[in-house]
Amino acid sequence: MVSNTAGASSGVALLGGHALAIAQVDALRVYRDLSVYRIQLVLEDDGWHVDYELKDTRLKGGGPHYLIDASTGAIISKRYEQ
Amino acid sequence: MQAPTAAVLLNELVVQQALEQAWEDSLSDDPVHRHEEGGWIYLDSPTGDVMVRRAPAGTQSTLDLSIPPVVRGAKVIATFHTHPNPSAEGWEPGPSAEDTQSAWLFGVPCLIRADDGTHTTGPASRRGGLTGGPGYPP
Repeated sequence: MVSNTAGASSGVALLGGHALAIAQVDALRVYRDLSVYRIQLVLEDDGWHVDYELKDTRLKGGGPHYLIDASTGAIISKRYEQ
Repeated sequence: MQAPTAAVLLNELVVQQALEQAWEDSLSDDPVHRHEEGGWIYLDSPTGDVMVRRAPAGTQSTLDLSIPPVVRGAKVIATFHTHPNPSAEGWEPGPSAEDTQSAWLFGVPCLIRADDGTHTTGPASRRGGLTGGPGYPP
């Protein structure tokens, strides 16, 4: 499931789907299986936030979290939780 | 009666051994097969003995500790699990948001063994002390 929220729009050249694709490439490379996560995609003033969160809140574990530049598509920061 | 805190449990030999065995079983040096391991820590009410039960192996980044097995005369006082993915490759060794969330949901401390040592999250000790049933506290 993808939750997509646009909270800011000035200076945005990158659509949410493109930001998600950028995150997905890295997340698949590192985590291999993303089926246990739901994805939250939010545009904030500092860029696209792409957060993979466990669907089952009773599981121990974690997923990847990205901040992607809304102009260039560069990954500004990423965090791999486990 | 108050249950032992996470800090006290980390000084228990049986808990230290369980964390190290789980870490070893996690195959943290194997980039293909590394996975989370863990289980539950119990306190036998009459004797005060601390016991451990292991859960089935998890995946690279998840572990299901939602249903602790019933141990007669004992109550769950904590969970433990490993974070086998290396911090040198950018992985966070400490608790995830979900680790913390589930610890508060279950009502017991969460102990974590990672490549930089041990971490804890969630409540300091079992919610409500040693009252309630054998599983997680109400």
